Amino acid sequence: MLITEIKPKEEFDIVLKDNLIIIICKGCKEIYLPVVDINNLINELKEKKIKFDTINVDYLCNHEYTKLRTINLKEKIDNADNILVFSCGVGVQVVSSYINKHVVAGCNTLYIHGFQGLTPFIINCEQCGQCFLNYTGGLCPITACSKSLLNGPCGGAKNGKCEIDPEKECGWEKIIDRLQKKNQIELLQIYQNPRKYSLK
Amino acid sequence: MDYTKFRLKPEQEIISVLKDKQNIVVLNCTKCFKEQDMNDQNECGELVPLLKKNNKKIIECIEIDFLCNRHQTEKLITKRTELIKDDITVIIYSCGFGIQAVTEIINKFSPKCEIYTVADTIPQDGHHGMALSIEKCDSCADCVLTYTGGICPVVNCSKGLLNGPCGGAKNGKCEISSDKDCAWEKIYNRLNSIGKIELGKQFFKIRKYSKPDYKTINNYNITIYEKRLQNFFGGVYPDENKEQTRNKQIIQFSIPKIVVLPLSQHTGAICEPLVKIGDKVYTGQKIGDIQSFISAPIHSPVTGKVVAIEPRKHPLIKKDVLSVVIESDNIDEYDVSVVPNNEWESLTKEELLNIIREKGIVGLGGAQFPTHVKLKSPKPIDTLVINGCECEPYLNSDYRIMVERPYSVIFGTLILMKILNVTKSYISIEDNKKEAIEIIKQKLDEFTNTNIEVIELKTKYPQGAERMLIKKLLGREIPIGGLPLDVGVVVNNVGTVSAVYDAVIKGLPLIRRVVTVTGENCINPGNYEIRLGTPIENVIDYCFGSEYKENNNKFILKMGGPMMGVEISGFDMPIIKGTTGLILLSKPDIEINLQRKCIKCGRCVDVCPMELFPLYFGLFTENKQYSEAEKYNVLSCIECGCCDYVCPSKRALVQSVKEIKKNLSVSKK
Repeated sequence: MLITEIKPKEEFDIVLKDNLIIIICKGCKEIYLPVVDINNLINELKEKKIKFDTINVDYLCNHEYTKLRTINLKEKIDNADNILVFSCGVGVQVVSSYINKHVVAGCNTLYIHGFQGLTPFIINCEQCGQCFLNYTGGLCPITACSKSLLNGPCGGAKNGKCEIDPEKECGWEKIIDRLQKKNQIELLQIYQNPRKYSLK
Repeated sequence: MDYTKFRLKPEQEIISVLKDKQNIVVLNCTKCFKEQDMNDQNECGELVPLLKKNNKKIIECIEIDFLCNRHQTEKLITKRTELIKDDITVIIYSCGFGIQAVTEIINKFSPKCEIYTVADTIPQDGHHGMALSIEKCDSCADCVLTYTGGICPVVNCSKGLLNGPCGGAKNGKCEISSDKDCAWEKIYNRLNSIGKIELGKQFFKIRKYSKPDYKTINNYNITIYEKRLQNFFGGVYPDENKEQTRNKQIIQFSIPKIVVLPLSQHTGAICEPLVKIGDKVYTGQKIGDIQSFISAPIHSPVTGKVVAIEPRKHPLIKKDVLSVVIESDNIDEYDVSVVPNNEWESLTKEELLNIIREKGIVGLGGAQFPTHVKLKSPKPIDTLVINGCECEPYLNSDYRIMVERPYSVIFGTLILMKILNVTKSYISIEDNKKEAIEIIKQKLDEFTNTNIEVIELKTKYPQGAERMLIKKLLGREIPIGGLPLDVGVVVNNVGTVSAVYDAVIKGLPLIRRVVTVTGENCINPGNYEIRLGTPIENVIDYCFGSEYKENNNKFILKMGGPMMGVEISGFDMPIIKGTTGLILLSKPDIEINLQRKCIKCGRCVDVCPMELFPLYFGLFTENKQYSEAEKYNVLSCIECGCCDYVCPSKRALVQSVKEIKKNLSVSKK
């Protein structure tokens, strides 16, 4: 369930000509695909009278389905000059592994660190591999602090707001408040070594 | 392949954190993105011995699926507030999402409670899709796959190089590890094999690591979450596909030569025929009835001769049901019992109820529950809700009734209000039917002191389900296994209300209904008022032409909407009281099947409007452990099909629920 946006048109402009197949993956239904932009593009192609075929699929990332579909649609794919895929990066890679042709990606997958599959309410885990939540009252300093500091605030916050953005709350102020409420403020005296970035 | 998100922390770290903690409650997430297995019910396995070895007292080990699903987790944890108190140490065994979600929840009712985690989230290069495939995407927001033959250098090259290999690879293996293939060598080979090696000349500038920021992503996420919580938890937003028939006026469908009337077109006892073969019957004449409380009589929709009384195929029950077959003689002559009555206000409650029963009115939204039974509630009723949501895609029959027959809807509502003796009623309509909302509101203005309110609801499936509707409109929650009347509400469909009007004021029994016919290759899509008993074949011939019948293996014909409709396998079955639509859909290229493994993605839990865990129903059906499913409240499943709709493994979850329910009811007998 990765969030995607349509690429700037000049990146796939050269394939927008006859004998095109457009594969649209609507697997992660709802709003993860820029459907409106894609439909606009399709309408534009229709106006220009370009010969193309649209194939609507779901869960391109699933090998079983994609394999079966490439077999069923073999003839169509063999006759196509270009294949344009609207899906996340995983979908494009799986399709490419079954089609021995130039496959063009139509979407960029947005930069979303630590966001896999499920839709949690808020993105607050970066999967650093060495959870610090035991020492910070259950608030993650890596995601809540703009600088991902581990040993207390930077000193740049004003009235509880981060210096990079007046709308963003200072993560460390929240952590300290939380620890005070829990009478666990002494946890801050434990020194945290620098993160092991090698885990990632 | 396994994309489990967390692992146990090193033992020393756990012990040092829990140094002088004694009474421990463990909250354990049962992990996601791994194949579902009967045996993974006991994930605490590795943790419990470790704690026992260090003399910790474990009060309880609570296992919760998808801890990060805040709505569900909050519901489950707040049930255990008596356990999670301030003097207890809570240990959470989950990924960072789960830990923080639970911390927030516990802080609400027990802010002093000490919460620790014993797990580290497993770092991953890139993100997987909705399948356990090895390809991953680092979501760099600058996809280069077009130029690299569909192999991602950002994820697969150890150095994430964009402009060719580093030169350190030996025999196709990366210099950082001899187990790792050189991604660039693979890319080079792939580009060669597709004859596009010139793509390698594309020069990439340095990646833009800056875009977009957490705030953008979190805002994205919050919108998704708000949509999920809109009106009620869960639900889906399928393509509406209502355009094809939205503006088609209701047309009278031609009277067929032969009608087939199953004597069961309602929930409850099957009627007994009141006519014999060879009898002459008139339009509107009662031909089947039984003295049973939950039942509704059947009337002849045509004038003609009874030619057979024999078991015939029933479209919903899927087996033969005793049916009356009438040959029409093309003269549509009404029976003497069809007498208009304009002075309904002078009738008593009992007289009105009797008319509704005698005219065979049942719920026309598809459930076919006898309306007179619904109106004779043994419990006090204070509110009437008229359901004009029609949340199923494709269908427009209710919408057309509201637009073209607003007075039928309003008078029908007034009749029901008199019967129920309620002072307040709501007509709920989804905001994709603006025209209907306006017309009903406009006509209501002509009345004084009606106390009927039109409510506009945001479109979402399955809004039209009684539970969802009552929760949204009145904030009342129907208990598990209960009915709307348990919370003092009666819900009736717009079509039913209009039929009540026809019955009381026109004296017309339920002999026809509005059916939306639409879908793929439909040459005459529309909203047709069809006599009950009309063979589906007549409708198919007129609306889809004969071409469809020859190629029918490519399509699925559904009675009802695409989400909850029943697949129809033959053309000889008739239109019945519960037929809201006839929809022709292309067969999915990959059929749903319980053979595929559940990958525990948690999406079915995200969309289940009844807040159940549908993934287990598939598992229990596979293992034939039907009684286990009862613990997961399988009986409150409304079979709306949201889980089937989103399941990335395409498992037949609704079918498994039906199988479980069938087996449970057999074992109870």
